[in-house]
Amino acid sequence: MKIVKKTLFYLMASLVALQFLLPLIWMILSSFKIDDLIYKDMDTIFAFVPRFSDLSLDSYVELLGFYNIFKNVGNSLIYASVTVVVGLTINSLAGYALARFKFPFKDWILIFIIALMIVPIEATILPLFLVVNEMGLINTIPGYLLPFIINVMNIFLFRQHFLSFPGELIESGKIDGLSEVGCFFRIVMPSSLNMYITVGILTFLASWNDFLWPVMALSNADLMPIQVALNAVFADTYNIFTSHMMAALTIVTIPIVILYIIFQKYIVEGSMQSGIK
Amino acid sequence: MKKLIKRSVKVRNTTEHLRQSEHYKTRDIVSAYGFLSPALILAILFIVLPIILAFTYGFTDYYLLKPNDKEFIGLENFKRMMTDEVLIQSFKNTIKFVVFVVPLQLSMALGLALIVNKKVKGVGFFRTAYFSPAVLSLVVISILWTVMLNPTSGLINELLANVGISKQPFLSSASQAMYTIIAISAWSGCGYQMMIFLAGLKNIDGSLYEAADIDGANAFQKFLFITIPSLKPILMFLVITTTIQAFKLIVQPMVMTSGGPDYSTITILQYIYEYGFRHRNIGYASAITLAFTIFLVVISIIIKKLFREEKAA
Repeated sequence: MKIVKKTLFYLMASLVALQFLLPLIWMILSSFKIDDLIYKDMDTIFAFVPRFSDLSLDSYVELLGFYNIFKNVGNSLIYASVTVVVGLTINSLAGYALARFKFPFKDWILIFIIALMIVPIEATILPLFLVVNEMGLINTIPGYLLPFIINVMNIFLFRQHFLSFPGELIESGKIDGLSEVGCFFRIVMPSSLNMYITVGILTFLASWNDFLWPVMALSNADLMPIQVALNAVFADTYNIFTSHMMAALTIVTIPIVILYIIFQKYIVEGSMQSGIK
Repeated sequence: MKKLIKRSVKVRNTTEHLRQSEHYKTRDIVSAYGFLSPALILAILFIVLPIILAFTYGFTDYYLLKPNDKEFIGLENFKRMMTDEVLIQSFKNTIKFVVFVVPLQLSMALGLALIVNKKVKGVGFFRTAYFSPAVLSLVVISILWTVMLNPTSGLINELLANVGISKQPFLSSASQAMYTIIAISAWSGCGYQMMIFLAGLKNIDGSLYEAADIDGANAFQKFLFITIPSLKPILMFLVITTTIQAFKLIVQPMVMTSGGPDYSTITILQYIYEYGFRHRNIGYASAITLAFTIFLVVISIIIKKLFREEKAA
């Protein structure tokens, strides 16, 4: 009886797993085939099971022949990294100030930050475009990056984190002659590494996946992040070979897979943290 | 949100007496504002200013290509919204998406979490498998599914043919397109929420189930009276975030259908984008932005209220 139950469980769990895995397997396998083969294999098991003799890197070579995908992937990696480094610094400095210092209007600023957390940012994307446009920053990298470097949710998370930061550590830094800024960068930041990694990864993913804002803020093809470029390739040449498209999708997914493999723990913890509070 | 404000007010009250006896140190004030100013400047420029602009432009006929020709037209834009058939259609589409995707995606996520919460061998593999679509970006997912759902040569129709189902139009039919987008969104989003549910399941005190066993409760009763109530805070968080996120649907229809066929998948955010950004009709699009933003804030407050009342009852 127990064995029957167990078998049923594995059977069900595997069937469910197939629904999630098969599209991805098909995407990756098809990127190693020529189009004829993709469509010939479609109603056979070989759509999902590799025959290693048929697989080749041709579609990748051909794709790179007419479209340098690494340029846009590189753009995205740079944008996401800059957003993480500058964003973490600015937001955590603000969170730290709200947690540590006593100063006039502190409570008002905190309430202001909390009130901004309820603004649905994407919903106000059009007036955001107008602001950046008035500043003359449309189609520039600062105009694209600055609006999403500020993140009030992260300010709040950092403030909560720093509230419980041991003050003696900072005092001892001061006795050693460090300034407030020195204390922050030499003592507070290094001892909150976990917090920074968690918030940093989530920021990186959000920036990497962003689509609507770069569509509006960057129209120059050389500056486009990969998500926008990918859509342009897909939409402009609707008759692009399926194998080329699948190769492009696979290339774009690889950096994130690597990120997940290294940081999975932080990603899940991070989304919990930002949610429950 | 309100709770947060209340909490911070409480913090203020408890520190009030400290503050009165102790004067601010100039050094602290300088440091604090130095640390805060980059964030505050950016927040004012890119969060507050857009809202103010939506308020001011929403009552004008501002057209981006004729910036000197904007006139205050009162509530004209809002009147126009009431009779704008495409806008009403996009509102209906958005509501349809939310109403279907939130329960579908969350129940899928909970189901998956229950599967991978079993303490058996190989469960790590299933967890990774269910989570795997979450590593794809929305654009990648949208392109992949558009290719697979191609009505004439797509993978899905080939698979359906194998089990004797005739070819379906999917994204190219006004009656199926939105449901297809709903299904794809749930498919891609539920793995992430499974992880959050799973963390909640792991936190439930095992002795509750043991006690229920002694009382002779069956599996369904245990699920209904122990699992669900214990997951309530997480459920509330997920309902709120998924609902708000769902209202802001735009990437999938933008990539997969461009809002068609026959406006059957156009969403509010997409309509704002089309009118304001593509057609440069800032006044009208700002009015919609304003209404939509207020709508979203009200919705999130209502959901929170509902959950709180249920908790109290």
